[in-house]
Order: sequence, then C-alpha cells, then structure tokens
Amino acid sequence: MNTIRNFCIIAHIDHGKSTLADRLIQRCGGVEEREFRDQILDSMDIERERGITIKSNTVTLNYKAQDGQEYQLNLIDTPGHVDFSHEVRRSLMSCEGALLLIDAAQGVEAQTLANLYLALEYDLEVVPVINKIDLPSADVEKVREEIDEDLGLDPYEAVLCSAKLGTGIDEVLEAIVHQLPPPAGDPEAPLQALIFDAQYDAYRGVVMLCRVKEGTLRPGETIRLMHTEKEYEVEEVGLLQLKQVKAHQLAAGAVGYVIAGIKTVRDIAIGDTITAAERPAPEPLPGYKEAKPVVFSSIYPMSTDDYEDLAKALDKLALNDAALTYEKDSSTALGFGFRCGFLGLLHLDVVQERLKREYGLSLLLSAPSVRYELTLEDGSEITVDNPTLFPDPNHIDGAAEPFIKAAIMMPERYIGVVMELCRERRGVNTTYNYLAVGRVELTSELPLAEVLFDFYDKLKTVTQGYGSFDYELLDYRPTDLVKVDILVNSEPVDALAQLVHRDKARPRALRYCEKLAETIPRQQFKIAIQGAIGGKIIARTTINAYRKDVTAKCYGGDITRKRKLLEKQKAGKKKMKVVGAVEIPQSAFVAVLKADTDN
Amino acid sequence: MTANPGPGLYLHLPFCSSICPYCDFYVLTGDPARQRRFVDTLIAEISLCTGGRWPVVGAESPVEPFDTLYLGGGTPSILAAEELTRTLEALHRALPIDDDCWISLEANPEDVIPANLDAWRQLGVCFLSLGVQSFQQQNLDFLGRRHTAEQSHRSLELALGAGFHTVSADLIYGLPDQSREDWQHDLELALALGPQHLSCYQLTFHHGTPFGFRKERGELAELPEEAQAELFLLTHRFLAEKAFEGYEVSNFATGPEHRSCHNQKYWDHTPYLGLGPSAHSFAGHHRWWNRRKIKPWETRLEDGESPVESSEHLSPTDLAFERLILALRTADGLDLESFRSVYGVDLLSANLEVADRLQVDGLIRVDSGCLVPTTRGLAIADTLARSFDITE
Repeated sequence: MNTIRNFCIIAHIDHGKSTLADRLIQRCGGVEEREFRDQILDSMDIERERGITIKSNTVTLNYKAQDGQEYQLNLIDTPGHVDFSHEVRRSLMSCEGALLLIDAAQGVEAQTLANLYLALEYDLEVVPVINKIDLPSADVEKVREEIDEDLGLDPYEAVLCSAKLGTGIDEVLEAIVHQLPPPAGDPEAPLQALIFDAQYDAYRGVVMLCRVKEGTLRPGETIRLMHTEKEYEVEEVGLLQLKQVKAHQLAAGAVGYVIAGIKTVRDIAIGDTITAAERPAPEPLPGYKEAKPVVFSSIYPMSTDDYEDLAKALDKLALNDAALTYEKDSSTALGFGFRCGFLGLLHLDVVQERLKREYGLSLLLSAPSVRYELTLEDGSEITVDNPTLFPDPNHIDGAAEPFIKAAIMMPERYIGVVMELCRERRGVNTTYNYLAVGRVELTSELPLAEVLFDFYDKLKTVTQGYGSFDYELLDYRPTDLVKVDILVNSEPVDALAQLVHRDKARPRALRYCEKLAETIPRQQFKIAIQGAIGGKIIARTTINAYRKDVTAKCYGGDITRKRKLLEKQKAGKKKMKVVGAVEIPQSAFVAVLKADTDN
Repeated sequence: MTANPGPGLYLHLPFCSSICPYCDFYVLTGDPARQRRFVDTLIAEISLCTGGRWPVVGAESPVEPFDTLYLGGGTPSILAAEELTRTLEALHRALPIDDDCWISLEANPEDVIPANLDAWRQLGVCFLSLGVQSFQQQNLDFLGRRHTAEQSHRSLELALGAGFHTVSADLIYGLPDQSREDWQHDLELALALGPQHLSCYQLTFHHGTPFGFRKERGELAELPEEAQAELFLLTHRFLAEKAFEGYEVSNFATGPEHRSCHNQKYWDHTPYLGLGPSAHSFAGHHRWWNRRKIKPWETRLEDGESPVESSEHLSPTDLAFERLILALRTADGLDLESFRSVYGVDLLSANLEVADRLQVDGLIRVDSGCLVPTTRGLAIADTLARSFDITE
C-alpha cells in the first residue's frame, strides 16, 4: 500500500491539465506511442473539442522512481467545470493528494483558488505545479509570489514544468511519489468503497469507478450500496490502465472498477459507499450529496416526427449521465417534448450538443429556468421550474429563488466594470479583497437565474478575457417573481413564457418581441407581438402586413413556375407553428431562444 | 367576342431588334434570312399537328376549332408581312381554326408604319398590343428601348387610326425611384390617345437578365415594397376612375369586349396549344413545353421529331391550386360553386378562419357566389393564394 499514490490534478480551465495528464501517461508507458492521441482521458468528442473534461476518468500508471522503487500511481482526472462540482468532490475524496496546476503566464485564477479550497476541505496534500514555463510571457517568480500570498502554499515546493514540451515531467512524478502520502486503510476491515463515477457499457452494464477505503472487494461477493440500499453480486473488478484490466481483488487504497450487473447509472448514486452485504460497515463514507439539477429547460424536436427518437436518445444519454433528469412536457406551439434538468448551463449545452451530434436530432430548447420555491396563500409550498406550471399569481404569497456565491478574480483595473455587472445582475454583498498587488478577488451573492444566460460571456467581455469565475450554491432568498407571457396576435406562445424578476421583465420581454418581429415573415395581416405580465402589456412590436406580393406576368409558361413556387412556400408554411392565426417558423423560436445568450 | 370556348393557339416568334435588359423571355436578334429559316421550321412544327393532333400523348385534343391566336415573342412585328402570312396559311392548312378567330399581335412602336398596319389588318389581327412601355424619354432610355417617346405617341396614334378592334399599350412602371407623379403622367399620356386596353407591368428584376445582374451586384434596387404597393394601387384606382376595368393584376380594358380573349384562356384552364421555341401548351391534365432555345428546337424539327422538351401531369389538387392562384389574380375571382363541383372543395368552409380574416381586412369579398380579390387583395395575390388550404 505504501507504493500506491492516489492523486488528481486540479486547475483552472486552460491551465493545461489534460496535457499534463497526457505526458504522465506517456512517461509511464501507459499507452503505446501509436495509440496515443491528445487529451487521451477525454473520450467524448465534445470534451476534446472544447478542451474540457466532463466525465471523471482514471488511469493507473506504473512508475519506477529514481530510488528504484516501483509505484502504482492512480491519476483520477476530474471534470474542470463548476457544473460538475459534485463529480469533482467525489474524485477528490478518492485521493490523498493533488497537483495544483497553475499557468505560468496566467497565474492563480478563481478556479485555482476554489479548487484548492476544495482539496483542503478533503485534507489532500497539495503540490503546486507551475506549467507552461516555456511561454515567453511566463513569469515564474510572480506565480511563486501568488502561490505564497494567495494560496498560502510553500512556493519553493512548486515543481516547474512544460507539459507541452515534456520538460519537468520527471520532477512532477518524483513529487507525486515523495510529497504525496500513500493511502491509509485496513484491507481486513469491513468494506467501504466510494463510487466516484460510473460509466455505462452496452455489454456489461454499469461500470463503477471506485476507491476502496477500507476492506477488500472481490468478485463473487455480494455488495450493498449503502444509500440506495440495493444489493448486487460483483462480477469483476480491475484496474483502469486506459483499458479495463481485470484483477482478482481491489484492496484498501486501490482505485479501480467494479462490474456488478447493474443496468443503468440511475440504479446507483455517485458518492455512495459500497460495502459487503455479509459484513457491512457501520457507516457510509461521509459527504454524500445527491446531484440535483438546478437548471431546467424543455427540449422539443424540430420536427414532431422526431419525438420518439428524442425519447430514445434521452434514455440512452441518461444511462451514462445520472444527473440528467427528464420528463414529458408538451407545448401548444411546439408539440411534445421533455422538461429536462441539468447541473448547470454547460451541462445543458453538452447534453444538447450530444443529442444533436450523436443522435442527429434538430432541437428547440426553451429558455433555461432555475427552480423557484413558492409559498401559496393556503400556506402550502411548491417548487416551479416550468413557466407553464406557474400558478395564478393571486394565489401566491411569496417566492424564493436560488442564490449563488460567485468568486471572480481579475486584474484590479476591471473592478469597476465587474462590480457594475454584478449590480446589474442583482448581486448583493459584493465585496473584494486584494490577493496581491494588482489582483483582486471579488465575491458577490447573485441570483442563479441572473448567471444562467450570459453572465460568463459578459464577464469575459468586460474584463477582456482576464476575469475568471467560479460559484457555489448558497440558499433560497425571497424574490419578486413574475411570469412574462409573449403574445402573438393576443395569443400566448407557451414555449416562450418565462419566469423572471419583475425588474427584468420589461427588457426581457422587449428583446423577445424584437427578435420575433425580425424573424416572423410578414403575412397578409398586421401582427402584434406583445410581452405581458398577466393582463398587463409591458412590451410591444408590430409586423406590418404584406402590401405588395404579386407577380406581374402570369401567362402560359409562368403558371407552372408560379404554382410550384407557391406550393413550396405553402409547404414551408406547413412546418410552421400556428399561434393566433400567425405562422411562426421554427427559425423564429430558435432566434428568440438563442437571443438569451446572444447579448 | 367574350365567349371563346374553343382552344387557343400561341406562336412564339422569338426575334427582337434588340434585347431589353429587363426581359426574361426567350428572344434573339436575327436577320431576315435567319427569320425565314425560322418560319420554315415553325411551319414544320405546325405540320406535325396536321389534323388537329396535339403533340403530347394522353393530352385530350379538344374537338372545337381554335378561336384565338396570339402572335407573341419576341416581337412578331419585325417579321416581314409575307413570313407572317406564310405562317398563318400553314396554320389554316393544318389545324381547325374558327372563321371568327380572335387574332392578337405584339408590335414594337418602331415597326408601326402604315404598310405594316395594313398587312396586319389583312392577316385578320383584331388586337394589337403595342410595346410602348413609356411615353417619357428618360424612362425609355433606362429601359433600354430603341424607340423614342415620340415614337410611342406616333405609333399608338397610328394604330388607333388603323381600324383594329382593340389597341393595347404595354406600359412598365415601378422603375427605381419612380414617383407617383411620373407614373401617373405616363398613364395620362396613354389615356389621352384613347387605347381600349392597357397592360401595366410592374418592373421586375429577373435573375439572369442584365437588370438582374445589376441588382445582384447592388447597382440597381427595386422600389421598396411600400412604394411598389402605392404605385400598384394608384394604377388600379386611377384607371378605374377613367372607366378602365382592371380585369387582371396587370391588365385593364374599357369593356369586357376589349379584354385579351387569349390570355383569358391561360387563367381559366381552357386548352391552348403553343408552338415555337419555349412555347407552353395545356390541355386537360397536361402541360408541356418546347425546347427553350431555338437551336435544339430547330434540330429536333429538322430531324422530324417533336420539339417538346417535357411535360407535367397535373393532379386534381394541382389544377385546383392553379385555378385558385389564377382566379385570385382576376377581378372576376373564383366561382365558388363551380370550384366545389369540379374539385370537390368547399373553399370557404375549408378556410373559415382565414377567409373571415381576409374579408374583415378588406382583401377579399364574396360577390354573387364568387370569391373576389379587392384591389388591395390583388396587390398581394400571391399571399392570398398561399393563405388558402385546398387539401381536404
């Protein structure tokens, strides 16, 4: 057990985590040169393209240290985005140590700090690694200062490397061996293994990734999942060396996979503890928290014929994504679809992207919403995340919305614009402190709903790319919530309704109205587009009627041409959604619903 | 001459003295020898129809004689009188043609000279359609016409004095930046001479024409829609005041007897036979068309083959939709009862909401069993046609 090291790499996005992982794998001969590809741990196309890690991944490396000793290094790759922080937590719990990767040019960023706090929360030993020292703009001394002042770590323990060029990789490996502690635990104790991720395999069912804390996992034994209280028989255990390598057991300290005939990832919970049914541990491992969706959106197929395909695609995605929730939903304008819950906007984006790419579906998504808590006049409490289910405002006594604590780091010169941005987004208790000369960390308590749409893009814009952002959920706070309806010729378009704070209702409604006016083709009559709260109109645009639409000549040969053209246009109309006798093309919904992220 | 139940005959004579930058018809220039060879070939095509046979298998050849003949193009007026005579003689030899056949000829102002007028009268032309386009020089210049404003006047005057049953002037409006006043002035100049018929075409920049290219390059812009609508309504209202009935989107006559009997057939699905390159024909459930360009058309005929390029079979729904499209372009509108009995669609009850809305908005009205577009409705006839659903 003394020769095992379980560690992860934590970093701000773009600081080079996947590249460092690639180099460590290559250095330890974990992969044949010809099989190697960049970002090897990121198996999804989306992960590679966006340079992000969505699913946790794990690889066991065999490293012969300079002292001649063979070590087993378990690198647990963690997702790098706040949406997936529950997975990050689980991964951290499986480690004894962490490499904290810092870009030599960028220095310490918001996520660096957030990740460090997380790592410390789980008592991990942290070794700072300064990456990208080959960059002309690298300033190692300045980063050392930040490590000292911002992070409170020993700057002279920091290892220097350039993952891109492969320099300093040996030093990183030696630091893992010598500065990170081996796992503790008793292989004879009652079994406690933490499930930190799971993948669905079409042939084998659910493959759980776990860290054995106490006891030993063996094939043939009956295990119990302590939170879900279900029992299964272990079929196979093994190590992950980029492929699954069967082993005869996983003893305390080990990281590996378990296959136990489990059908879907829904049957298990990430963070749950595996114990033995025969001799169960008295307690599950601490820190279990259910991953709850916080962002909701309805997904409709562009063509109503694709509903069945969408249903199947969601079923399949969900096999491997326990955090994705979905239930049937329907809209008069858009037909049948699903109300889906996501961990955050990136999660939503990823699911949407995968549905499009891997399943070839064209989709429409309604405006994302958070989940609100409502107190009704009879004293009962309900939650609402779907505007169509919003009760009559007369029966609502009070509403509350989720707040987050945002941590934003940036060079000092942007503090004014960022504070203004937070103020615009209804931020409260905005404070800041100087981390170092010229660098500021600002924290603000913001409604999650305000961050959903374009906060991150705006932040990047106003700070010219220098601002970094991280957040955690805080609590629910009272809010003045209204439902904004969008009416086309006085008829509400249900798919465009949304729940917003009263102060934001008018600008939002106006933006929707304007986008619709741009995209709905003119018709033979004037079309009024309105935004309304209840019966009160708060925004309005008009689409003027066609005034001239006729071909000058229509004789012998023109007739066929004319008929075909009009037929084609009519066929286009058939695909439109009719609301209030107005034909609304799909493109109008797309434009409007995208408008949220445009601006 | 209002009821012409027989089929119509159209000859496409594709020669022009020059090619106008807005024209998207199939036309070419050619010397008299070239024209003679063309007429020889046309006569060969006519001969293929000897005995009244229509060239497309399955097309129901009508039994009645042809009672309208339209000489179009191109500019038939540039053909020498003897070529026209030869052509008509060939027609009479090959096809059943009514003694009272209504004959129309398109003429350019520069060809309107007394000798030609006499010859056309001799041929039996009763409807002379003059391509004057404008009475104002700057407009003619813009349109690339070879005749002068003076010739526009002169030719119309001469034609009106030559004893045709109907003389029509073709006018073009909606030139870039054209004002209401400018267009109304053209109309006034036309009316002052007293034609019985006017065709007023709104200028369109067709793809593939010099104007089309200039538009695509951003050098020319069509009038904005609002201005187009204004000129369209001005045309119909102004001419109505002057006792011209706008019986179709672009056609106006001082009385039903002066309407274009031949064009009427296009709009109510009366059979018609088109001969010459690019000519279209229609009978029953078929529409077919000749090779568009003169060369392949000639080659086919020289080899003794039919010059028909392609045909389409029209389903009852196609026919019903065409009927609707075309009727909504005419002042007579659509006879709802006849539409129901022929196509089995009760248009109004199948489109209650739309029809109601269009009536309330003053775009259509129902008048003695007919669905009739109002003037504002005519201006958006394409939109109207799209608004109705004719599938059961």
